Amino acid sequence: MTKPYEVASIDELDRIPVMHGLEWRPIRRRFDIRAHGVNAYTAEKPGDWIVEEHTESAAEHQELYVVVKGRARFTLGDDELDAPTGTLVFIEDPSIKRKAISEEPGTTVLALGASPDSPYEPSAWEWWFEAYARTPEEGAAILEDGLAERGEHPALLYHLACMEGKLGKVDEARAHLDRAIELDPRWRERAESDEDLTAVLA
Amino acid sequence: MSGWRAARLEEIPARNNGWIPVRDHLGIRAFGVNAWTKRETDGALITPHNELGTQHEELYYVLRGHATFTVDGDEIDAPEGTIVFVRDPGVTRGAVPVDDDTIILTAGGKSGEAFTISDWERNWEWNRRAFPLYQDKKYAEAAAVLREGMAAGGGGPGLHYNLACFLSLAGETDEALEELRIAIDGDESFRELAKNDGDFDPIRNEPGFPS
Repeated sequence: MTKPYEVASIDELDRIPVMHGLEWRPIRRRFDIRAHGVNAYTAEKPGDWIVEEHTESAAEHQELYVVVKGRARFTLGDDELDAPTGTLVFIEDPSIKRKAISEEPGTTVLALGASPDSPYEPSAWEWWFEAYARTPEEGAAILEDGLAERGEHPALLYHLACMEGKLGKVDEARAHLDRAIELDPRWRERAESDEDLTAVLA
Repeated sequence: MSGWRAARLEEIPARNNGWIPVRDHLGIRAFGVNAWTKRETDGALITPHNELGTQHEELYYVLRGHATFTVDGDEIDAPEGTIVFVRDPGVTRGAVPVDDDTIILTAGGKSGEAFTISDWERNWEWNRRAFPLYQDKKYAEAAAVLREGMAAGGGGPGLHYNLACFLSLAGETDEALEELRIAIDGDESFRELAKNDGDFDPIRNEPGFPS
């Protein structure tokens, strides 16, 4: 039976290393929140990433970042923003390239996101962020789970191909990569320089 | 327009019930998000309520300080960094501060639907203006404010219920009964509320009063 409510401390959340010191602390997935995206991110050291460089063009999400501990420096398109604890950064335009760097030890940012025009669906990146933090076998299984929930999503297919490439499963990887490119041709360019797919494309 | 906006929490003026209107201040349309501080009137942070009207899932995050939540009858000690997620809209939830400077961030939305601004938020300005008139027993003037709000795009069962109260007390019986009917059609829980609401004493014995 689903509990009517759940409680956790932010310190109890999983720590999933992503890149350049950035750790993803899953909130949405822990509680199975279905109305909007919500996660925390932490960085141990100044200079670590606290938000990875990205846009929201694919999901068309509005995003709100709340600096709940420490201090961050955001880059928002061509703008820079100093963001001490208590700063709210709302990015309405999904196409704005965004990134943030921690400026104090233990900086923590809460992030919320959703599209204003359509019901929320869990973002595909949740699966591939976790997949790359695990072994290739585990990563492939996580991406298969993602495909079961999200259907044929090109990013999930692409990253599954990468995991299969690491595992030497060339035929499976090729099939998943071909399908990812068929659904979204932009993955072709990335594949050509992706070490995980070198054997697949040979 | 740059496509992004930023603010410090302390820069957003809190309204008199401790509400820091984050969503409205930043113009967010994709999800509900607000912050709450200790309310001057009763010292509470989060008024005990459910989300049956909106069917929202709600996430609470203790951004600063220390609070005590009561959720589904359970008391929860919630120091800074505590996350409380209330999945079931029918569950009653509320919070009081342990530390006076406590701030709670809340986020909410309905699973499976794009976000729309909650009635309580879009009606806040009209209720804020009407309730002092109600307290001064200027019932017809209070009703006029809510009618003005409805004409300006406010609405929802709660606003109709409040208008029904004011009209009942103002002696506008037929209009009060009609507004109460609209409120109950929109949210059946108002039927029970009306049974014990003294504002309806002037019209309680009317034939059209809901049983």
